[in-house]
Amino acid sequence: MIDKNKLNDLANRLMFKMEDGEYDTLLREFDITLKQMEFIGNIKDIEKVNPMFYPFDLELDDSYLREDTFNNEIDFNSMLINVKDYEGSKVKVPKVVE
Amino acid sequence: MTELFIDDMRKELDNKSVTSSDLFNEARDKALKYQDEYNSFVTIMDKKEEMDSNTKLSGIPYGLKDNISTKGILTTGSSNILKDYIPVYDATVYRKLKEAGAVLVGKTVLDELAMGGTGTTGHTGIVRNPWDKDRMIGGSSSGSASSVALGIVPFSIGSDTGDSIRKPASYGGVVGFKPTYGRVSRYGLFAFASSLDTVGVIARSTRDISYVMDIIKGHDDRDMTSLPDDNILYSDNINNEIKGKKLFYIKEALENKSGNKELEQIIDNFYKTIDKAREIGFIIDEVSIDKELLETIYPAYNVISCAEATSNNSNLTGICFGNRIDGKDINDIMMKTRTEGFSELIKRRFVIGSYVLQKENQDKLFLNACRVRRLIVDRFNELFKEYDGYILPSTERIAPRFNEASDKLGDDYLILGNHLIIGNFGGYPSISIPSGFVNNMPVGISITGRAKEDYLVLNMANKLEEVLGYKGQVSKSE
Repeated sequence: MIDKNKLNDLANRLMFKMEDGEYDTLLREFDITLKQMEFIGNIKDIEKVNPMFYPFDLELDDSYLREDTFNNEIDFNSMLINVKDYEGSKVKVPKVVE
Repeated sequence: MTELFIDDMRKELDNKSVTSSDLFNEARDKALKYQDEYNSFVTIMDKKEEMDSNTKLSGIPYGLKDNISTKGILTTGSSNILKDYIPVYDATVYRKLKEAGAVLVGKTVLDELAMGGTGTTGHTGIVRNPWDKDRMIGGSSSGSASSVALGIVPFSIGSDTGDSIRKPASYGGVVGFKPTYGRVSRYGLFAFASSLDTVGVIARSTRDISYVMDIIKGHDDRDMTSLPDDNILYSDNINNEIKGKKLFYIKEALENKSGNKELEQIIDNFYKTIDKAREIGFIIDEVSIDKELLETIYPAYNVISCAEATSNNSNLTGICFGNRIDGKDINDIMMKTRTEGFSELIKRRFVIGSYVLQKENQDKLFLNACRVRRLIVDRFNELFKEYDGYILPSTERIAPRFNEASDKLGDDYLILGNHLIIGNFGGYPSISIPSGFVNNMPVGISITGRAKEDYLVLNMANKLEEVLGYKGQVSKSE
């Protein structure tokens, strides 16, 4: 059973907040989605079908296994363009340990 | 000049009637002129990139969807959470176009993070349809379609996860091509749903699409899912004989039980189109497919795409990059950043995606969606043993007015409104070309073919385009 509390819990795990009205819309969407999926669940022998995760078998050659090679593609100065704050050659990030 | 075909621009460039700077300046001026009215671009380039090359695309201006990474150039995904993000590397598709000498005019607006089909959810505002400003252009490659329909550029690059190139192309009266999955590298494309995402092209003719595809396709070591090179020049095969090529249309997709007048005209346009196709040698059959199976396309897509999107976008926290909102600790920072950074639609999709992936729901929701995906793809693969492709109207309606439709995930069971997703489920090449007008708005038909036979889909579309008479149309002729 899905209710606002469940959705609120999911939103919190996804690290965002939602407004009350947004949950109402979401509950309606879940109602439709779950009914549709119930219909899929009733397809005969659906559980015996091998799930498809990619459109077709990938054609991987041996080259995807390779030796590690040093490749410093991003230099410090070009990286700084997205950095809010830095000191010397060190990027300042939010404190992550209390 | 920028409303011409690539061949015509090439001639003018080669005989030195114009320079690439002239073309860039004209495209840039048009982009700026139409920006307030239509909002095609997030960024319009100040100056022309200088590349020395000698290809069909040298000096030709183009637009690039703003979810494709461009080193040193703002790339926002049309989302507040990335509103100041400047990539530190180039996407492969952009690098290839740059090396070929194509000239970037601007980064085009999309539905936020490519999730949506309306062109109304980008952080810089709505994109309007060049044929009627009160209507949507559709999405998510909204600005890519409008920039081509307005005649600003001869082609734009888009991405397509469910119909995001083909639908806006159809609403905008232009051509949209989603290649086979993996034909064009996804390196540098912001991932939405990785098993469905495809980089493709919007242009004003199939031939122009083939010129661009010849440059951007090919294996890329940086994308493990990219296909081996097919070593076929699509532009050389665009005029091959198509007599005897077999297409089918799906009987159940053309039902109009409600008697909707607009749908009636769209279906009428389709039947007239396939009459012309038969006249030039196509064999076209009606095929019946289990309606219950066709009705699972949208819910399965909804579950799979939301699940993959939730996972793919978990890196948008504001910690390593993105528009960080300060807070008292790391959790507070992420919570504030993601709350303010994502719109309501995106959050709803993430919640659905997260729910279907939870351990207790995964089998009956996510895995069942993946199972039904296989059933659908198996059915089409079976049909593709006999047929070279299927043909249907691209959309079930003309471009909606802004007050007519929302982008909420509804229980819309219209098969015709969702069949383009089949192309993404099976990784099939799929194209929409303009086929006429209904209520003064453009409509299109789509051809979807066998995986890895991109050249054949382009070939068949080009032959049909020749007899339909809507090739090269722009909404604003100057």
